Amino acid sequence: MMDGPAAVGLHGVTKRFGEDVVAVDDMELEIRDGEFFSLLGPSGCGKTTTLRMIAGLEFPTDGSVRIFGDEMGIRPPNKRPVNTVFQSYALFPHMNVEDNVGFGLRMQKVDKAEMQRKVGEAIDLVRLQGMEKRRPNALSGGQQQRVALARALVNRPKVLLLDEPLGALDLKLRQTMQLELKDIQNEVGITFVYVTHDQEEALTMSDRIGVMNEGKLIQVGPSEEIYEAPLNLFVASFVGEMSFLPGEIAEPGAVRLSGGEVVRAKTTSAPGTSVTLTLRPEVVHIFGDHSEVPAGRNSVAGSIARRIFQGGSIFYEVDIGASGSFEVHAENLPSMRRWKVGDDVVVDFHPEAAIAFAE
Amino acid sequence: MTLLDEREKAQTEAVNPRLERKARRRESWRGFFHAAPAFVYLTFFFTLPLLVVFVFSFASRSNTGKPQLEGWNLDSWTRIADPLVRTIAVRSLTMAIANTVLCLLIAYPFAYWIATRARQSTRTLLLIAVLVPFWSNFLVRTYAWRMLLDSDGYITQLGELTGLWGRMLFTAPAVFIGLVYGYLPFMVLPLYAALERMDWSLVEAGRDLYASGAKAFQKITLPLSKPGIIAGSILVFIPSLGAYVTPDILGGAKTNLLGNLIVTQFQAARNWPFGSALSGAIMIIMLVATLVYFRTGGRTV
Repeated sequence: MMDGPAAVGLHGVTKRFGEDVVAVDDMELEIRDGEFFSLLGPSGCGKTTTLRMIAGLEFPTDGSVRIFGDEMGIRPPNKRPVNTVFQSYALFPHMNVEDNVGFGLRMQKVDKAEMQRKVGEAIDLVRLQGMEKRRPNALSGGQQQRVALARALVNRPKVLLLDEPLGALDLKLRQTMQLELKDIQNEVGITFVYVTHDQEEALTMSDRIGVMNEGKLIQVGPSEEIYEAPLNLFVASFVGEMSFLPGEIAEPGAVRLSGGEVVRAKTTSAPGTSVTLTLRPEVVHIFGDHSEVPAGRNSVAGSIARRIFQGGSIFYEVDIGASGSFEVHAENLPSMRRWKVGDDVVVDFHPEAAIAFAE
Repeated sequence: MTLLDEREKAQTEAVNPRLERKARRRESWRGFFHAAPAFVYLTFFFTLPLLVVFVFSFASRSNTGKPQLEGWNLDSWTRIADPLVRTIAVRSLTMAIANTVLCLLIAYPFAYWIATRARQSTRTLLLIAVLVPFWSNFLVRTYAWRMLLDSDGYITQLGELTGLWGRMLFTAPAVFIGLVYGYLPFMVLPLYAALERMDWSLVEAGRDLYASGAKAFQKITLPLSKPGIIAGSILVFIPSLGAYVTPDILGGAKTNLLGNLIVTQFQAARNWPFGSALSGAIMIIMLVATLVYFRTGGRTV
């Protein structure tokens, strides 16, 4: 499906700081032209270092970084066809919005009329008309964020790098900006490489996600795949809500929970292996007793331990004794039966929706 | 009235205006008490003596040269236009400017180097090294330079060995060397303070936006360190304009600067009114220069 080289190619990239800190460990990754790619992971997992190596702000200790097939080597940042939106925005405090946005063009000696036109367009794109003469410290966080975005986009880089650009904004603004960023990316058609520790943000915006942990790239795939088919326990626990139940493989495709119940689940482990059964809260349903459960599904008896009303949905915690507990996200529909704390219930889930990972 | 207006009104009225005013007044009194020691000290030991100097500049002299607080006149002030004074003033000004520029050129890269050391402990150590000279008396250090610059001093010997210079003691270059040596730390410290709190991600952003290393320095680091440049320049320029010890010990009779001229008036020449007028004139010039400096650059960033 890909013609031509990858927008960004990382091959065997390793970054060490000092003797024993390995920030990025032997990374293999190809980011396609025009996609919105997110690097997702907890803080300190090496995602920002990876981004900085693409930008040229750090050089890999080992391996190769390519941008559209060109080996970057130790090429300095000003000679790379990429621009960065920094986490703290890094707007120049001694320049107004217009001069901040035009900085890259000035450095490339674009002629004045052309520069003015492009700066104007970029300011329009991020909807900051009328703010041209303001200094960054006279802008709100959201506006500063837009300036940072315009300042990078105005140069039409081949790849735009974004380092947790929404981290400093409040929740509401962050959600608006997520959609806006996605729209802008569709409009300009530039490859976005987006670093974040917020799994929801990554799921919302990305075409594909690369999950990182401790310097290693764990799993790369489309948002749905990362969410629905996590490769291991780390990805499963880091992305989205999840119930975890300890157990062991009873026979191929069946797990015995610590309370003795046997349920069918997706697994590749051999019988006898200790595993953790994982289940998304929205794939679990609650019934009054076993007879109501549709055929071919797992069912486990328990009782409602907790109930939290969340408006559009109701969160239940179902205690299943020695086996642990299930988290259940039930949609708040008029037809749904409401449960009270203490009610004896049966939880049910499809075998395909439960995945058991070896410890 | 909208709901919001009502809420705002309720909030502002929650505090009794009379009590609030009282609290604010108490606050301002407390502020005054904090400033009082400095206020008293500066009034008695700075403002009053300055007034005395100003008053004396209009006084007359008896036959023996004793200043008399009568026969008020402007003679001392008009004497400032004297060609001899002008020569010394121009020499002082040139020296002070050259000293400021050279200190800046030496101190900037040094302060930059200290500020960019990764470890805090390294930076502290280097800063202490800058301050070490202050542990011994300035006069002693200036006499040390006298020995270095004299006929058999190391610096003179080195110059003769390479054939580049001879004995410099009692010449203008000797004074210049002494001034740069004496005032360099006053340039390093404010520059360091400015560079140390620089947000280096701004430089990274500049590099990312196609600026070469040199361009990023010119467009980002330099303008953002301007407050340090201004503070350092003022701290060096002003005292070196009135420098006395260095030109006195290293300069000999030919390189008199304004400081020496003033001291001569109070001592050998016994002309207190003229000395006072000279001091007053320098102070006024410095005040104006400082104000202009702050107005032009001090408020940016």
